Amino acid sequence: MDCGRARELNLDGQRGRLSAEATAELQQHLSTCVRCRAHAEAERVLSEVLDSLPQHAAPLALKRRLAERWPASLSGTLPPRRTWVPRWVPALATAAAALAIVVAGSTSLFVEQRAALRQLEGESVNDHLRVLEGAPLARVTGGLHEVKPWSGGKLDFAPAVRFAGNDDFPLVGGAVEPFLDRRAAVFVYKRRLHTASLFVVPSEGLAFPPELRTQTVRGFHVALWQDEGQGYALVSDLDLQELLLLQSLIASR
Amino acid sequence: MAGAGAEEVVRQALAHADGLYNFARWLCRDPLEAEDLVQETYARALGAAQQFEAGSNLKAWLFRILRNAFLDRRRRSQRAANPDSLEETGADAEPADGPTSELEQGQIRALVADDVASAVRALPEAFRTVILLDLEGMTEPEVASVLGCAAGTVKSRLSRARALLRERLAAYRPEPGAC
Repeated sequence: MDCGRARELNLDGQRGRLSAEATAELQQHLSTCVRCRAHAEAERVLSEVLDSLPQHAAPLALKRRLAERWPASLSGTLPPRRTWVPRWVPALATAAAALAIVVAGSTSLFVEQRAALRQLEGESVNDHLRVLEGAPLARVTGGLHEVKPWSGGKLDFAPAVRFAGNDDFPLVGGAVEPFLDRRAAVFVYKRRLHTASLFVVPSEGLAFPPELRTQTVRGFHVALWQDEGQGYALVSDLDLQELLLLQSLIASR
Repeated sequence: MAGAGAEEVVRQALAHADGLYNFARWLCRDPLEAEDLVQETYARALGAAQQFEAGSNLKAWLFRILRNAFLDRRRRSQRAANPDSLEETGADAEPADGPTSELEQGQIRALVADDVASAVRALPEAFRTVILLDLEGMTEPEVASVLGCAAGTVKSRLSRARALLRERLAAYRPEPGAC
């Protein structure tokens, strides 16, 4: 195998898309050619940094709009059935349908909002459990100015958190973790032996309530709120009053 | 595309919304424009549904529609801004494909995603597109289907795009004191 062929096959080789025979030939060439080995390593490093690029998930609102429009458009392409009906029937049917849509719409909206809230609460608790189980955290010893190095480049937003911890609630770590369809900045605070996790995400398309809302899920207290386009989920097994105290420190400007 | 089969195609098509939106964000940067582009893609797909052959690659077809929609928009805005302007293809740029030194590889690895993202955005559209579609996990024949060219063209364009990216990233120097 010559250098030109080796470079041509290199990427496919790194992605496991070559036959065993071609892989062996490529490895044989790389073991003897310094320049192609350097090229292969450079390609591997490039793939590594490209994999770290942020992925933009489609906003849920967009997905809902698409899901609503597509089936409707398809059914609209079917030929209409022609049967005889009294003239007043269409008007009555239209009125009844409109009423049904309003009632069903408001009911389904209410059910949908509650389901969306439950999803947020459940996800927050699951993610908090991952933190408790030892999800890798960047340890913070010097306050919020250490936040940027671990969140920088992994998020497509800047988390608006100014509370750097205090003696009662020291900030001990941070991370970037998946949260539903997006990535969250995670801030971990301590209170005696208790851990409180704060997840911050862009709120667009998620059901973060405009006002503070608390709920107990599987024994954990969950506080949800949103501010200026960002959604906040604070989770802990702390006493609710203490959790609310921490929430007020985080939410204060 | 009609009947029960159509419902299945719709379900499969909607499953690509995240990938399409991500591609649109990298092409046009603006979140609202990206949303418009995705909506336009699905609208165009619906309008051209009869042209879609059952069993062919739905994902590649949707990405192709999105890219064409993006290029149409860009042509319109270029014409509006400067009717005499020549279209930029950018694929003629010839990067050096020499090996990157270990020092340069270390520098590339140390870059944060923002720097890499800037370098990707600065690539000519033709190069940026093959890089993004490759990141999307598409094979060369799939990318060729999106671009409407031969798989060999994709291979060579991807190789040149990656060489240019390596060259630019190796030359990148973060500002002192930046964190």
